[in-house]
Amino acid sequence: MVNVLKAPAGVKLALMGNEAIARGLVEAGASVVAGYPGTPSSEVIMTLHEFGAGSEVYVEWAVNERVAFEVAYGASIGGARAAVTMKAPGASVALDPIVSSAYGGVEGGLMVLVADDPGPHTTQTEQDNRWLGFLAKLPVVSPSSPQEAKDLTVSSFDLSERIKLPVILRTTTRVNHSIGEVRLGPIRPPKKASLFKKDIPRFVRAGMLWNLERHKWLNKQLAAVEEVFDRVSTVPNTVEGSSELCIVTEGSAYNYVAEAVSELGADVKVVKLTLLYPIPKKFLLKALDGCYKVLVVEELDPYLELVVKSLLAELDARVTVYGKSTGHLPLEGELNRKSVHNAVLTTLLASKVAVSTQSHSVAHQDVRIAPRPPPMCPGCPHRNMYIALLMGIARAGYRSDEVPVFGDIGCYALGVQPPLEAIWTEHSMGASISMAMGLKVAGYDKPVVAVIGDSTFYHAGVQSLVEAVHKQVDVLVVIADNSVVAMTGHQSTPAWSELESGRRSRPVSIESIIRAIGVDYVEVVDPYDIDSSIATFETLLKKPGVKVVISRHPCALMEARLRGVYRRYRVVSDRCVGCLACIRVTGCPAMFFDGSKVKIVEEDCLGCGLCARFCPYKAIEVVKLG
Amino acid sequence: MVKTVNIAIASVGGQGGLTLSRVLAVAAVLDGLSVRTGETLGMAQRYGSVVSYVRIGARVFSPTFSESEGDYLLGLELLETTRALRLLKPSGLVIVSDTIRPPISASLNREVYDKNKLVDYIRSYAKTLVVPAQKLATEVGNPRAANMVLLGVFHRHQDLITDTSMRKAISEVIPPKWLESSLRAFELGLSFIEER
Repeated sequence: MVNVLKAPAGVKLALMGNEAIARGLVEAGASVVAGYPGTPSSEVIMTLHEFGAGSEVYVEWAVNERVAFEVAYGASIGGARAAVTMKAPGASVALDPIVSSAYGGVEGGLMVLVADDPGPHTTQTEQDNRWLGFLAKLPVVSPSSPQEAKDLTVSSFDLSERIKLPVILRTTTRVNHSIGEVRLGPIRPPKKASLFKKDIPRFVRAGMLWNLERHKWLNKQLAAVEEVFDRVSTVPNTVEGSSELCIVTEGSAYNYVAEAVSELGADVKVVKLTLLYPIPKKFLLKALDGCYKVLVVEELDPYLELVVKSLLAELDARVTVYGKSTGHLPLEGELNRKSVHNAVLTTLLASKVAVSTQSHSVAHQDVRIAPRPPPMCPGCPHRNMYIALLMGIARAGYRSDEVPVFGDIGCYALGVQPPLEAIWTEHSMGASISMAMGLKVAGYDKPVVAVIGDSTFYHAGVQSLVEAVHKQVDVLVVIADNSVVAMTGHQSTPAWSELESGRRSRPVSIESIIRAIGVDYVEVVDPYDIDSSIATFETLLKKPGVKVVISRHPCALMEARLRGVYRRYRVVSDRCVGCLACIRVTGCPAMFFDGSKVKIVEEDCLGCGLCARFCPYKAIEVVKLG
Repeated sequence: MVKTVNIAIASVGGQGGLTLSRVLAVAAVLDGLSVRTGETLGMAQRYGSVVSYVRIGARVFSPTFSESEGDYLLGLELLETTRALRLLKPSGLVIVSDTIRPPISASLNREVYDKNKLVDYIRSYAKTLVVPAQKLATEVGNPRAANMVLLGVFHRHQDLITDTSMRKAISEVIPPKWLESSLRAFELGLSFIEER
């Protein structure tokens, strides 16, 4: 495989957007890169880890997004070029330091990658982080392709250094996770910290007069962004074609526009923005001059639509603006080729006939295929934990519908699928413990349970646990510790002693944190030992105070990759009566019902043996492998 | 001017659908073509429904395509292929492995699928090649290489990507440990002729 970080300039490679951004960071000479894993942003740092062996650049996962941002910010005020990566909700976690950074500004360039997820494919909301521009008063730029993602990464640093502000590179899934052809550029040596000049009014936000002055400075900087952007960005704002019929677009939405216009052979002016904040007013006013109808095509909120309308209002221009507010494009979900094609057709071209969005499959609906949402993997220790927890709740004398289980963000949220349907909420990082506490202090008289993963606990659960202990709330907290950030692709946690980069690290143990916080009970169980797990949950549910169970077993997928699979299970056909007890209890995706009996897909079984345990007919037996 | 070709890859997460789209993308760029793929990644997709989009042409912008726009549907599993049929043009080609993996939600309701009925249904929709990809991959000692078998069959039925680039792309994408068996799986696909 070609090393994308070291390949020479001029070479053209097939790169995923995130790989292109990683290459861009090397081309820009970034010397500190921090982030927290989150789809669709994770592959930037993963690519730097995979191909960056021997590099002097600091590339590490941080405990959460705000820490990651502060690490990068600290580097940049000392003159280093730094970057930070996160998914959409991560920007909210980091918002406090992000907003303050606009007042202090930067010395070395600082790029903040925020990856939004229209769809959504893997995110709890369709949060539109373009608004960060208005909120945090920081420049926001947006690429439409992997090539632009790489080029704009480099330009973000040039813009950031000249304007002395962090620059937000805002992407969407269809850029981050799309492969496209990318022509590589030259590599600059990493720009490290040079000198951190003490400047109290600039960097100390404790003085209100200083803050007022810095706000004035910030507004002055923002006023200069458009002009500086035009000079330094290799991905400019562009106008294609000339017509009274105009489209304003940006980012991944541009791709659908480009194809719709060419396929319709439409005489349309396409205005594509790369700089989304501050609004490139000079450019837009010129580009919109002479437009009589404007269609705004963008993912997520009608952000550009509002911008365009307010600009046109300033001009007192009589222009009709179409977009999401007028119902020509959807306010929720992703755009696609057809929805954009139809919007162009029915607005600018005033056609009454839209392309059918129905496929010819309508005539063929006699075959029903059951849904296949992602389940927990075969052998997943979270499955054992949930089964033990639910059985522990029953043994403690409670009905399953009276003990709420507050979930959190990670693979264990997949326990919401049938047959377990184990969690009642999944909200935001760390919320399981504090939301369970909230219900309890509001007077809920049955036990409450919070389930949180190891990495999520480090990320935002520690503070919630402090709160629960300090206020002496009765809550059972289960820390589902699989020793890895599993869901986003097996990244390191603070418990590791050696990191992906090769760096030796000092493990921070969950037990020491919990004991130091001072909970009432701590137990460590192996969920593969299901009987003692059940007993532990039963006992602790009956006790008052803050009780923590660390349910610890490595991610089964990681174990199989590292150590191989040394046993599997199979169904003894003449003993299986097809009662489905195994599938009803475990929901293991390695099993299926063939009409009379259960089958185990050999290559999918990782040998946990949970199914065998729950077979009343002893029809599932172990097969030892060489 | 090369017309854009739309390929959908339907699979169960973990079957190697992403590797397939990566090989196609790398091969297209080696041939100097433009490519965009659209996919959802992450552990969260394992054992779930996965569709990858690959678009290859002279100048491609959009990473996905809409219903009834697909020229090819490569399916690593029959149920997921059936689910993704809507993406295919009536004139498109289905290349599907005869593997079936009923989802848990079906087994929980005692729903059972008849393989022949599914194949007939797919055939009624578009021209279809049913490939014993799993069996052929097992023959070369790499059951995970069913995707490479399908790639071989696809290669025989397309004229966009050159032989040299396809093979070079496989050797760039597949880890050395699995390369030899993957190339053999690819060959088996290339010489596969459907018996009916």
